[in-house]
Amino acid sequence: MSGAFKFIVLLFFGLLLMAPFIWMVSVGFDRTANISMPFPPRLIPEEPSGFNYGIVFENGRLIQSYINSAIVTVSSVLLGVSASLFAGYAFSKGRFKGKKLLFILVLCTLMIPMEPRLIPLYKLFNSVDLLNTFWPLILPTVINGMLIFLCKQFFDQLPDTLREAAQIDGAGEFKIFFRVYLPLAGPIAATMVILAFIWSWNDFMWPLVVLNNQELHTVPLYLASFSLENGTSLGGLTMALATVSILPIIILYLFLQRYIIQSIALSGVKGE
Amino acid sequence: MKDKAEIENQFPAGTAQNGRLPARSTKKTSSPLTWYIFLIPSFLGILLFMIYPIFESLRLSFYQSNGTIEHFIGLENFKTVLTSGPFWNAVGNTFFIGIFQIVITIPLGFIFASLINSTPRGKNFFKVIYFLPNVTSIVAAAMIFAFVLHPEMGIVNYLLDIVGFPTPGWLSDPSTSKWAVILLAVWHWIGFVIIICLANLQAISPEMYEAARIDGASGLQQWLFITVPNMGGTFAFLLITGWIGALQRFNEVYVLGGPNGSPARSIQTMGAFIYERGFTGFEFGIASAATYIMFMIILVFTFINLKLSNMKI
Repeated sequence: MSGAFKFIVLLFFGLLLMAPFIWMVSVGFDRTANISMPFPPRLIPEEPSGFNYGIVFENGRLIQSYINSAIVTVSSVLLGVSASLFAGYAFSKGRFKGKKLLFILVLCTLMIPMEPRLIPLYKLFNSVDLLNTFWPLILPTVINGMLIFLCKQFFDQLPDTLREAAQIDGAGEFKIFFRVYLPLAGPIAATMVILAFIWSWNDFMWPLVVLNNQELHTVPLYLASFSLENGTSLGGLTMALATVSILPIIILYLFLQRYIIQSIALSGVKGE
Repeated sequence: MKDKAEIENQFPAGTAQNGRLPARSTKKTSSPLTWYIFLIPSFLGILLFMIYPIFESLRLSFYQSNGTIEHFIGLENFKTVLTSGPFWNAVGNTFFIGIFQIVITIPLGFIFASLINSTPRGKNFFKVIYFLPNVTSIVAAAMIFAFVLHPEMGIVNYLLDIVGFPTPGWLSDPSTSKWAVILLAVWHWIGFVIIICLANLQAISPEMYEAARIDGASGLQQWLFITVPNMGGTFAFLLITGWIGALQRFNEVYVLGGPNGSPARSIQTMGAFIYERGFTGFEFGIASAATYIMFMIILVFTFINLKLSNMKI
């Protein structure tokens, strides 16, 4: 196959994959779409207007859900990434009894889906009266087998001689970790932050279970409830809402795409 | 250095110390206790949010429970679930959607990855475009697809109509609704497959291609006889992660069909069945039993996948 032909094929299918997004944006800006979906479908709105977006922002629930998602995501990322850095470092450089067994336990957690844990975790947080708070979304992210695994792999590549040198200078384990290895862990920390951010921001099932209070809904929850309430009516509004909801992650993606793609590839390839 | 550490780990302290210089043992200041401190946050997490729930779920599956009142009823919940039509319907739906998602996406994604890998221009641009659906939330994607696949005003049926193909009812018709979910699943997952394939394509040593070229192999022959066989591990990885994800499918079917997977439970998955029984019916015992059956299905299936793909973990 010639290069030009490949290029055209890829461009065609790329546009096909983008079509739902393109249509979404176009319908969102179509004033008449709020009354009935434009048919036949058109790419350029007949009556272009920001009407639908105006309503989305006026309503205020979207902004509230943004704030909620931001609180949950930032706290989860901080907690999950730091706990995984500690654990990954210990599994890489530590020497202690039961290391292998504990590490296998960590890997096993990768195989455990959310479903069997759903009801017990719900009851657990109910018993300490933390349902309808953000704590149930934040605290369980402290354990993340994938991040620990990636982190261990990274520290494995850093030489042990650094430790020995620091030990000779009389540094304790914590000092060695914080002063010597942590400053070198920038690249893997960035990867972990990106992965944890995407997972947390897009999480749906668990928040659906623990957050009954609409005021606390995260972005995906607000979207789902809007969608279930209105079905396929209010097309213009729905599309405007969908556009605004995915905008932050798309912007993040376009700026950091190189690192995001690398992180995903890394977690996938190394997971092998 | 590393070897020495391993040897010391393998043998009890007495045997290892014979070979050790006294100077080294005084230098080793850290006690194992310090290392356990590093692990405390993660293992508190594993204990509280992984191990405890797994066992509590097992216990609950033997009880009739609505969260406050509990009765031990033995295997009754398992019997109820295993003889329940809706449960097997959910299992069937989950597998149907999963099989077609995987059978379509992995080969298609691999072909696109090969094309992207060998295109002279715009490699990075295509990577970005093809991966975009995967980073957007599946909830938003499901919302958009409800319109894209709308039988009367959706863009897909409009185009099918122009070309002269029949226009299915998609999500409004139980006989086609699963295909609507499959379409969404393929659209959402293909970027991931492409990125993983691309990473591994680049890891195949260029010397093999060079040797093949010298022997006069065409581009297609090189792809068939060098590229494809070298991707075994990648396909196995995608198969396993794909299945684990597919068996847990919940988000998009919940957005498209609610907790009972309408129309007519045609898109209710195992996850949605558990959610429906647990959190709309508050039948915790039944939901827990279903959860354990699902967990077993995932474990067995992962094991079969591992065997099939000859993968070592």
